[in-house]
Amino acid sequence: MKLYLLPSDSIKSFIKELAEDGSVFYPVFEDDKTHLVKFAEDKDFEPDFEKIRTAENIKHFFFPSRDVVAKFPKDSRPKAEKQYLFGIKSCDLRGIDVYDRVFIKNEPVDPMYQERREKTIIISADCPEPADCCFCNLVGVSPYGEGTCDINVTKISAGLLCEVFTKRGEQILSKHQDLFKEAGKDNIKEREKIRKDALKRLGKINEKSFKEDIGERIEKAGKKTMQDAQKDCVECFACLHACPTCYCFLLSDYKKGKDVERVRTWDACYYAAYARVGGGANPRSDLKDRFWNRLLCKFDYFNEYEGFFACSGCGRCYRGCSGKIDIREILWKL
Amino acid sequence: METVNPVRNSNKVLDQNQKTGFSNEVNPYYSIPIKIKKIIPETSNITTFILEGMPMKFEAGQFAELTVPGVGEAPFTPSSSPYAKDMEFTIMQVGRVTSALFELKQGDLVGVRGPFGKPYPLDDFKGKEIYIVGGGVGFAPLRSLFLALLHNIKKYKKIYIRYGARTPDDIVYRRLIPDWQKINGVDIHLTVDVGDESWQHTVGVVTVLLDEIPVNVKNSPTIVCGPPIMLKFVTQRLVEVGFEHKNIYLSMESNMSCGIGKCNHCRVGKFYVCKDGPVLTWDDVKGIEEPFL
Repeated sequence: MKLYLLPSDSIKSFIKELAEDGSVFYPVFEDDKTHLVKFAEDKDFEPDFEKIRTAENIKHFFFPSRDVVAKFPKDSRPKAEKQYLFGIKSCDLRGIDVYDRVFIKNEPVDPMYQERREKTIIISADCPEPADCCFCNLVGVSPYGEGTCDINVTKISAGLLCEVFTKRGEQILSKHQDLFKEAGKDNIKEREKIRKDALKRLGKINEKSFKEDIGERIEKAGKKTMQDAQKDCVECFACLHACPTCYCFLLSDYKKGKDVERVRTWDACYYAAYARVGGGANPRSDLKDRFWNRLLCKFDYFNEYEGFFACSGCGRCYRGCSGKIDIREILWKL
Repeated sequence: METVNPVRNSNKVLDQNQKTGFSNEVNPYYSIPIKIKKIIPETSNITTFILEGMPMKFEAGQFAELTVPGVGEAPFTPSSSPYAKDMEFTIMQVGRVTSALFELKQGDLVGVRGPFGKPYPLDDFKGKEIYIVGGGVGFAPLRSLFLALLHNIKKYKKIYIRYGARTPDDIVYRRLIPDWQKINGVDIHLTVDVGDESWQHTVGVVTVLLDEIPVNVKNSPTIVCGPPIMLKFVTQRLVEVGFEHKNIYLSMESNMSCGIGKCNHCRVGKFYVCKDGPVLTWDDVKGIEEPFL
């Protein structure tokens, strides 16, 4: 493993140079929230790599909320463009892991997703300051990138300490090699401390872990447990649309001139009509069943098939929830 | 319970057919345009749509998404033989897409996407008696299976069909059944909930035809398709008389969108009806609280 240092005074130059090759999105901290913004030459910019994940999930970069996936009778679509996601957190990498399984690994491949994924370079950043809503440590996610990303950076006093994970990441570093230095031992030591502190903080926020057989426990839960869990749910669906690992979608057809566009939109399993069939029957007409289905999907079924939870521990579901339902509390009780 | 791995189950056949000619890319969301060749009303609300040609290679049991341009798509199992020249769908008018479909005329364009799901394991049926039970429009996919079996009828010991409809006028393929009844090695019995003066056969729901089951239940496959309530009671009866749970094949109904195991709509317990189904065995679904809704 070779680490490189991007000195503080070169960070902006690096972003500027990347922007010559594609769109660059970097994190800014505003009004107590982080957002990814697009680099523009004529704008002042102050990237912040230390705050927690962005308020919005990043799935729309690969899987937009509204996406034309086919045309009829003749197919066509615009090509995806190159983009750099700079400074996203490791919880969002878990989201990408989930999508990679669903849209690429499990055939047939989704060509739209695959193309966007291939055209997107991911430079993740360590999360040194996990917030109270965070629980990545409970779902097997570290507060720093360990893969899925092309490069991971850690904000240290001297700049960004970069670790390369892919060939593509190597190429980027060699292309912009004038900006980088080889990292020193003290830089690496500083990273170790930052990571240790972040993990310690997460350990304090989430003292209990989920039980080993959490999937089975969700499956076996009684009606009363399910009822209690959803009693504060007002069906605003914020949790599902904010979730970086939810991937349900719906296809709808719309006339456009002489042609028809097949549009894929994000869907959510909490919608009452989600599973309703043509004849009117509905296997999950009751909110408690829909609410519980989300837990089954994320912690039981997905884990069984893919070997990890379809949950990133980002806490966006809790932050967005009108009823302040904390998924951790539900799972801890099981 | 034997577990299958829905999301890992791949669909190679699809890749052959969904090539859109656009960048030589396989787009699983693209529907192949095809014209309606002929429309044959079967009952007051069930119609057979014969398309101009066979847009995809499918096996009995697999399904396709049928599109009414600009309206949307819905999943249907073809009712024609996989070996036929033209693809056919027998469809009941129920919701938005089917209502729009019923407005279409001969020569109009529709789209098909597929095939999706797993076929019936016909190799496992070889040398056996095959016991088919259908109700209402559930005869549509069973016809495709039946025609596929007829194509190689010598390979099977005997084919039994037990079919029920509400009234004699609601019997699907009434125009074809007399010829089928003449085929050696085929045994067809019909029933209706309510008969009329012309009705010479059994009266009662389809389970009355299952009072006596003339097959060796220990190793015969039984295939069931019909409305949920029928599935429930027929399955009960089939289990009671001793059919092996893994030999009871049930057509599952579920909300479906993508057809390729991604959108999550059709999941029933751990199964994706679109990838693991649309036919699952009783062994697969018996652990689910309410498999037939």
